Amino acid sequence: MSSHDATIVGYLLVLCAGVTLQVAAVRRPDLFPTLGGVLTHVMRSRTGRVGIFVAWAWIGLHFFAK
Amino acid sequence: MSEAAQGASEERLAGQALSPARALYAGFRQPVVWILLLIALFTTISGKPLDGFLMLTVATLLMWDATRARAAQYAGPAARAGATAPGPHRSRPRASRRQVAAGLAWVAAGLAYAGVVGSFRRYSWPATVSVVALGCLAVAAGWQGPLRRRAALTGRALRRAWVWGLVLVAGGLWELSSLVQQPHLTTDSYAHPTISALSDPLLASHPGRSVALGAWLLIGYFLAGR
Repeated sequence: MSSHDATIVGYLLVLCAGVTLQVAAVRRPDLFPTLGGVLTHVMRSRTGRVGIFVAWAWIGLHFFAK
Repeated sequence: MSEAAQGASEERLAGQALSPARALYAGFRQPVVWILLLIALFTTISGKPLDGFLMLTVATLLMWDATRARAAQYAGPAARAGATAPGPHRSRPRASRRQVAAGLAWVAAGLAYAGVVGSFRRYSWPATVSVVALGCLAVAAGWQGPLRRRAALTGRALRRAWVWGLVLVAGGLWELSSLVQQPHLTTDSYAHPTISALSDPLLASHPGRSVALGAWLLIGYFLAGR
């Protein structure tokens, strides 16, 4: 396996971990929080809310803006 | 801190003098401020000064807000009212035809945005202005507070929220390891591609850019509902 492939497998593993965790959280909400639940919790404060929106805006800036 | 302890602390502070240094320290204590300052630094040195400037602006505003809140604590309850309180929660009304029409209008606006902005070349001024404008609008709307009240995490689910942090940190570190293995911060590496490098073929075409912008808008819509 080349370094290129190994790097992509790493990204896919992280993605799979996230999907697995989300599925587990939806099936057993008492055991793990969903991603939406965690974001809601973080966004209860102004700094958390603004921080999450800035992260979202930064993604757009990073891929499209100068 | 419990509400009772916080109340006692605020009573103790009321009427005392607050030095500018302590007020500034309150701003620097916010982890989000530090994260934004780090992003501002790294995006600027990697050739994206506009990103850096915007991150720095938001970090400064958040610091100012935290400083103001701290000063209001010292001034007492009268001055505290409205200092950092997010906007009022609006209860969710029942779905009506009007709401459905408004929803359809949002979908149409989102599709038009993705279609039009996707037609602009990446890193061009029209694309930059369109994305910056929407990003600033979203941050300004987020500043006002949540649109509706939602149940808070409690119990075991709250204690295990760190698992999500672990996944995000793992992804971030993997991306960072690819970034530092590039020949240069602004030169992609085939052997160690970053997510940006992997997305380049998709974002090279108008339909690809429109799909990516649509996904970005959907995530924004999801966040706005939190």
